[in-house]
Amino acid sequence: MIPSRVREQAAGPKGADDAAHRPKAGRHLELLGVSKSYGSGRLVVRDVSFTLHPGKFLTLLGPSGSGKTTTLMMVAGFETPTAGHVRVNGADVAGLPPNRRNFGVVFQGYGLFPHMSVLQNVEFPLRMRRLSQDKRRDLAMAMLDKVGLEGFSGRRPAQLSGGQQQRVALARALVFEPDALLLDEPLGALDKKLRDTLQAEIKALQARVGISILYVTHDQDEAMMMSDEIAIMNDGQVIQMGAPADIYLHPRTAFVAGFLGETNLIPCVHCGSDGKIASVKFTDGTFGSGLEMRHDRERGEGKAGLLSIRPEAFEFLTGMATAPNQIDGRVSDYTFLGRHERYVVAALGQNVIVSQPGQGRPRVRIGDAVRLTWAGEKGQLLSRQT
Amino acid sequence: MKTSDGKAARSRYWLLAPIILLYGTLAVLPLTLIVTHAFEDGLDHFRTIASSVLFWPIVGNTVVISLCTTAAAVSLGYILAAAMWCSRPPLRRVLLAVTLLPFWSGVLVKNFAWSALLQDNGVINGLLQTLALRSAPLPLLHNRFAVVVGMVHYVLPYAVFPIFATMLGIDGTLTRAAESLGATRSVVLFQIVGPLTLPGVYAAALLVLIMAGGFFITPVLLGGPQNMMVANLVNYYANELVDFGSAAALAVTISIGVAVLMLLYHRIPKEGQYGRA
Amino acid sequence: MGEPSPPARGGREAVAAPGRSGPSTSALLLLLSLPILGFLLLPSLIIVPMSLTKGNVIRFPPIWISTHAFWDFLGDDRWIASTLTSLKVGAFSVVLASVAGATAAVGLHRAGFAGKSVVLALIMMPLATPVIVLALADYIFFLRVGLVGTWVGIGLAHSVIVTPYVFVATQVSLATLNPAQVRSARSLGATNVALLRFVYWPTLRPGILAGIIFAFAISLDEVVIALFLQGPNATTLPVQMFTSLEYDPTPKVAAVACLLLAVALLASLAQLGLSARAGSR
Repeated sequence: MIPSRVREQAAGPKGADDAAHRPKAGRHLELLGVSKSYGSGRLVVRDVSFTLHPGKFLTLLGPSGSGKTTTLMMVAGFETPTAGHVRVNGADVAGLPPNRRNFGVVFQGYGLFPHMSVLQNVEFPLRMRRLSQDKRRDLAMAMLDKVGLEGFSGRRPAQLSGGQQQRVALARALVFEPDALLLDEPLGALDKKLRDTLQAEIKALQARVGISILYVTHDQDEAMMMSDEIAIMNDGQVIQMGAPADIYLHPRTAFVAGFLGETNLIPCVHCGSDGKIASVKFTDGTFGSGLEMRHDRERGEGKAGLLSIRPEAFEFLTGMATAPNQIDGRVSDYTFLGRHERYVVAALGQNVIVSQPGQGRPRVRIGDAVRLTWAGEKGQLLSRQT
Repeated sequence: MKTSDGKAARSRYWLLAPIILLYGTLAVLPLTLIVTHAFEDGLDHFRTIASSVLFWPIVGNTVVISLCTTAAAVSLGYILAAAMWCSRPPLRRVLLAVTLLPFWSGVLVKNFAWSALLQDNGVINGLLQTLALRSAPLPLLHNRFAVVVGMVHYVLPYAVFPIFATMLGIDGTLTRAAESLGATRSVVLFQIVGPLTLPGVYAAALLVLIMAGGFFITPVLLGGPQNMMVANLVNYYANELVDFGSAAALAVTISIGVAVLMLLYHRIPKEGQYGRA
Repeated sequence: MGEPSPPARGGREAVAAPGRSGPSTSALLLLLSLPILGFLLLPSLIIVPMSLTKGNVIRFPPIWISTHAFWDFLGDDRWIASTLTSLKVGAFSVVLASVAGATAAVGLHRAGFAGKSVVLALIMMPLATPVIVLALADYIFFLRVGLVGTWVGIGLAHSVIVTPYVFVATQVSLATLNPAQVRSARSLGATNVALLRFVYWPTLRPGILAGIIFAFAISLDEVVIALFLQGPNATTLPVQMFTSLEYDPTPKVAAVACLLLAVALLASLAQLGLSARAGSR
């Protein structure tokens, strides 16, 4: 491991008031009520609060314009919040310019310095921190080793592939042991296979180095794959935050249900509840059930709502079997997608998407009348407003 | 040939006939004539000019004036380019327009204006006398200084554009990346942005150097008899001495010099000497 | 820090200046630029007052105020003759250059053959060749064919220099031509001539016009070649000015300079307008 005196020298840039920001394990990043508006008064980020715990991977996930990048930039110091606080280990970083905040940032496009070699790029933050030439070199080479680019130290960024440049950017952002790593859609420009590989590598790197990561992306697969926690953002606000499985299985709004994965939203009316499972009535008079809504105040008999059922939660009822949850419809489309098959069933006045493990031969044919069923816990009752 | 229709392909190349005719008769032919004249007695003409008492001083003068002009024009051009780059678009357009204005007035108009400005009873001396800073006029005209001033004035817009173009090509993310890694503003300027503007500077310098070497009018109107440049020497040989052979030899020498400089110019990748990351 | 910029969305942030330097650096640079810009503009500015002097000597400050310099110019046969010569030369060279340059641009449009870049470089060669070399070459050549001292000769020589400008201007216009237009016209049976007339020409017009204006301005201003090829009946305006400045400087020169400036300004405005139209098609 790195000797402690080298660690101290690798401390954040000079300044007595920076003592609180010397890198140590266990540093919390907190956002409290952060908002950002531009001149026109339009709020780009609204009252965002979350905590990134040490060593954790938190992703800000949302569509373009949801404010996720602006939020990241406020953490990094390139934007100033118009309200709220950004705190590192309790200390407000508001007064600190970006070059004193000790975060490692990987931008879209990586921002590698084209006129410097890979090694010089990675050494740069160490040079800013006044490390001696030997120590710089050792640390930088070790970091390059860690990202699998030993031997590339003499090359220029232009001579590297996209994936390699990505890794240099990561190495450069990590080499000075920052308090956290901030990544702004770093894999956007790469093809799918490379993205998958790098996602795994980033995750593995995090495990090895133990650093906290704040990640921004619009790709929900990516978010699910890498994150300990996901904060879903839309229109400047955090809509829901939690572990990937949690959000996936228990979306709080129709937006979240539709954004993370695919879902069917079936209009219904709330007509009973046992506390955990709610009974609903569909437009054609049939009944179904799903998980009760989380927020107590949204519950209410007779209230209109949406029942969210993921395509993979459905099963086809065959033969004479019946089930308490049942929807009748007619198959209108079928697609084979390798890992799964996708059926479109016209039911209840809408297209219901059903997904089944792929087996090559369709279970039902287009035009067949079918009955769909699902387990109550696999449905989620949501209120009509997003 | 990428055109699919063979007949169309052939007929399209008929369109090149006019330019081939024009260049062939009015550029290639005369230039070949020059080369023939230059080498008609082997290397004799070259020896003549090289041994001429005028040659080396004039070459020296040309080099000195060209270098001074280049240094001044590139420095001033850098400041202008940087000012344009750091301005918001509305101001930037204004600066660009003002820089472009001189393009439209010819070299004679410019030289005339400069001689009026620099002469003993010209604007600058008049101003100095009015402000009682001097009683006797400063000799600002008909010397090397005036020639350099006139040339810098002419080439300055040409120096600005390569530098500005290079600056525009610099990735904006780089400054943020540098800052996030702990760089102060001066580090960003001198270690990140500055080096990346260098290719533009080299391009501008070579361009100006090539232009400056070929000046003819400015040395005559703004310079003294001891400020002749190589172009004037060609005129001297051709029109005063009526020695076409030597004039041609000199012209060939100048062309070779320019060609060498142009080769250097093309070896500078204009956009991003280091490629795009 | 700098001014706030909108959040980056996909793709790169095109932040150039604000991130690079604070407002203080921009202010400093602007301050430094002012004298430089003044330096650029100053000469053009003093010409106008100088041409309005009462005296017969070019001096500053001028003796206000009289327009006699302009009338002297208009009444001087030699000056008028040289003006006419310049106009003839300009028109002639521009006609030749536009035919050669435009046809070449159309001919090379979307042509892909090995050595195309060499051809392009050759077309642009007159820009790179030192004027003195071309002047001497034309002089020696024209001596043999008896074209020295004729405005036709000067026009021919100028046409070579200005062709690259028309070529490039035409190329720029051509870039806005939709290839689908050409293909559909062909499929509808258009001959090459019809193609040129109905498809190419309308698109090219503004670009060629812009190039012509620029070319004309250059020919009008060209001095070295005109000097070498001059004759008693073939003195262009710049050459007349040059001789006058050397041997007989009177305010007439200032008046001519003033007029040339005005023409140049008009030309630049016209070209701006045309390029804007050519680019927006």
